[in-house]
Amino acid sequence: MKASSLALLAGLLTVGMQPALADETEDLARSCNSCHGFNGVSVGPNMPSIGGLSEAYLKNVMLQWKRGERYSATMGRHFKGYSDEELSKLATYFSKLPWVPVVQQADAKLLAHGKAATERCETCHGATGSEPDDADTPKMNGQWAQYLELELLKYRTDAVNMPHRKMRNNVKRMAAEDLPAAAAFYAAQPK
Amino acid sequence: MNPFNRRAFLKAAVAAAPVTASLALPRPARAGRRASVVVVGGGFGGATAAKYLKKMDAALDVTLVEREKVYVSCPLSNEVLSGHGRLEDLQRGYDGLKKHGVNVVFDDATDVDPAAKRVRLKSGKTLGYDALVLAPGIDFDYGGVEGYSEQLANTTHPHAWKAGPQTLALRKQLQAMPDGGTFIITVPPKPFRCPPGPYERAAQVANYLRDHGKKKAKVLILDANDSFSKKALFEQAWKLQYPGMIEWVPGASGGKVVRMDAKANTVHTDFQDYKADVLNIIPPHHAGAIAVKAGLANVNGWCGVNMLTLESEVHPDIWVVGDSTIHGELPVYDAPKSAHMANTQAKTAAGAIIAKLNGLPAPEPFIVNTCYSVTDKDWGFSVVHIYRAIDGKLVYIKEAGGISPVNMDSEEALKLQRKLESKYVHGWLHNVLADAFA
Repeated sequence: MKASSLALLAGLLTVGMQPALADETEDLARSCNSCHGFNGVSVGPNMPSIGGLSEAYLKNVMLQWKRGERYSATMGRHFKGYSDEELSKLATYFSKLPWVPVVQQADAKLLAHGKAATERCETCHGATGSEPDDADTPKMNGQWAQYLELELLKYRTDAVNMPHRKMRNNVKRMAAEDLPAAAAFYAAQPK
Repeated sequence: MNPFNRRAFLKAAVAAAPVTASLALPRPARAGRRASVVVVGGGFGGATAAKYLKKMDAALDVTLVEREKVYVSCPLSNEVLSGHGRLEDLQRGYDGLKKHGVNVVFDDATDVDPAAKRVRLKSGKTLGYDALVLAPGIDFDYGGVEGYSEQLANTTHPHAWKAGPQTLALRKQLQAMPDGGTFIITVPPKPFRCPPGPYERAAQVANYLRDHGKKKAKVLILDANDSFSKKALFEQAWKLQYPGMIEWVPGASGGKVVRMDAKANTVHTDFQDYKADVLNIIPPHHAGAIAVKAGLANVNGWCGVNMLTLESEVHPDIWVVGDSTIHGELPVYDAPKSAHMANTQAKTAAGAIIAKLNGLPAPEPFIVNTCYSVTDKDWGFSVVHIYRAIDGKLVYIKEAGGISPVNMDSEEALKLQRKLESKYVHGWLHNVLADAFA
């Protein structure tokens, strides 16, 4: 962890966060670090960063996993161990952390392919994935490429229960080779 | 403790305390001196404890005592046997902890004096402590299999149950094995480190054999136990990927190995003798030697701890985390001995130590375990355990956790599930290593 991140932590404990919320939620949130990184910044390659995603998005997916309304390979089994209130507080906690894009380089050809393949995504996620049009939509700039690709794969697989018809339809319209390109494109965007 | 952390703990303590109990005011733990915490052992548990102690209270003096300059992760080391993983990728050093302000000492802790609160090191140095964390992992009971020894483990018969040179030695033996040969893995009685490890190893060994033109070779698991972790998932994978190659002999059918003959390369149960081409004995083990020497281990060789804080049941002000512990009466493997458990226990212990040093009740623990196994390319699965404090006890939450689904509505769904988890294991490893060492 860099010194700047340490300073960040100190800042969060003092001014950046409602102290009461931090107190109640920090012990719970600490267990998320094991897979999602300190302050929700993952070191990859397929565990997503979660710090700085919107509160509404985080709360929505966590509750859907817990209730079995959204397919997950692993997380649903975790969230059945938390109360709805705890999940809601965790969503608030992680949403207040800064979004730290982890910029992953890729070759120009792949990025150009990715840019073309993600045109259909722009309306909701913004040109680089950094400006979602509403709070329910996640940021994707500097998210881990392999994670994004595997999520796209989930949306393409009818055999599992993924909500959000628009998302499913759009992903299914993409060619198989568009998936890694789209993922690489968002992963390479600093902002 | 800085005032903000102190406030946080006070709030947590108020929240955790029964409404009728009065809350003791924090007392200064030590007049005019920074509190010292010594951590012995720099694996997943010890490294995490040292890092989080500094993160949660930068004013603490934290010293980590570790023998080796480079740590090798046991998780994913079975993939080194098949050639799908590299030992170099599993290694981490201690510079990350130094950057957090942890004083890292490469030495060997030889004695603990719980009364004087001192740890003696091999170099002759002694370290005083206000709180001691022991995370020495496991040591082996070679006598548990007659004829086996540490010397054999380091030469002709590596157990490779601590990743490192022995892992590479075992890989070489596997590579040299003839088609039609037998690779024997012997499993000690529970509890042992990494409950699904031997069965994942069987798959990774079979993977190498299958993909290197040795499909007539066999992997024989001689098990002292009658069941094992993720059994249905492993048996499904073995049948699908390595039909006829892996055989499991449970304890009830005479699987418990009591003796080995290194020269003849045979093992003996009470019923039968087995001849191996590669003989991989996993000897029984117990809490790391320093914990046993400090008197913290029970008759079975494991350290009983307060379930909510990880503080030793024997000596106050000593916390034990990781594979050395036995956790009360938890129904699932008495808490599985895994890297993730050590990591999450260490965070709980760090919180409890800082609370105690400040005269406050410990925050409520939340213990999570995620443990992946990989049997083939694009085929991984996991088990999740969640433990929470309920009425003063750490309880396994039955509604949550559990193993990956054995069957799903379609083959397509099942393949996706297995593929995702075969990838996630790498994300898990990167992040849990960073959580402990970076």
